[in-house]
Amino acid sequence: MAQSHLDELSPALKAVQKELTSKFGKKLLDTSVFRGELTFVVAPEDWVSVLTYCKESESLAFDRLDCLLGNHYPGRTDQPFEVAANLTSIPNTTRLRIKTQLAEGQSLATATGIWPSANFDERETWEMFGVVFEGHPNLERLLLIPEFKGFPLRKDFPLEGLVGGRIRTDLKGKL
Amino acid sequence: MADALKNPSETDLEAVLEGGGGVPGVIPAQLDRLLNFGASFSFWPLLFGLACCAIEMMSCAGPRWDIARFGMEAMRASPRQADGMIVAGWISVKMAPRVIRLYEQIPDPKWVLVMGSCATSGNIWNTYNVVQGADAIIPVDVYVPGCPPRPEALWQGLELIRDRVKQGRHAYDGMRTIPARVAIGE
Repeated sequence: MAQSHLDELSPALKAVQKELTSKFGKKLLDTSVFRGELTFVVAPEDWVSVLTYCKESESLAFDRLDCLLGNHYPGRTDQPFEVAANLTSIPNTTRLRIKTQLAEGQSLATATGIWPSANFDERETWEMFGVVFEGHPNLERLLLIPEFKGFPLRKDFPLEGLVGGRIRTDLKGKL
Repeated sequence: MADALKNPSETDLEAVLEGGGGVPGVIPAQLDRLLNFGASFSFWPLLFGLACCAIEMMSCAGPRWDIARFGMEAMRASPRQADGMIVAGWISVKMAPRVIRLYEQIPDPKWVLVMGSCATSGNIWNTYNVVQGADAIIPVDVYVPGCPPRPEALWQGLELIRDRVKQGRHAYDGMRTIPARVAIGE
């Protein structure tokens, strides 16, 4: 199905797809195109090597990490978590999405060595989904209070609910 | 008049205020009225927005609704110079200690206007990170409903605040401590 949409790609993205396919071959587990957007799925072990190549290759030059985010699919029992990186090349004006799929409790190598801006993105992905990034310099809560328990963007987290009254936090020592 | 001073409980306060020259206590009462009247035309809110309601608050300060007509346009960036607070937006659990600290840094007398459904009751965000109503943490004078309220609604809320300024009434009257302090047992 995915292959049939390859002709929707712009010429620049076709070159990106050709180069990455020739470089990594079978390591790209899946290639998909949706409305002209190119997405690759890689294994967690190849995550850093593929991202490093995208950044440092002269012809690809994905010099900017737009965002790095997580997803939770409870229906996929073996690999429910997904981490996606959206890359932008400012010189080539191309965009690329690279995904990887993780099992419960499986950790992923950090991308902060490639793009320092991955720091906050990975902290947020960890606090919302519980995906641990190995080698991250400061993996702490970013948006929530430090004492928060649980990972609220997982689908099994209670959507409504008061945990500890209307304030729901212990303000002692913070006022 | 001497009888009235002997039995102050039976004194008609209005009669004393109107006609009671020479009675001690008349001058301070009138002075309070004068001061409150002046303060009601120079209510300086804290420059402080939490979420999308702050956009309506800014347009209220702009030329079309122009709360400068009532001496309210001077939004102070420091709580030490402010007379009150417009809580414009939902309060996250992480933000709550900062809101309380800002409130406590405003010198007395102070008034709090809560703007919008989120700050009033949490709105639809009955979720893990939203304080369910600003009155859970600080004393509140006026609630303005809406999502977000129109600038006219905020204007009416500020008029109610001005009434309270004139009367010298505060939400914390009769409270020994603010609700957040009660919640943590101080």
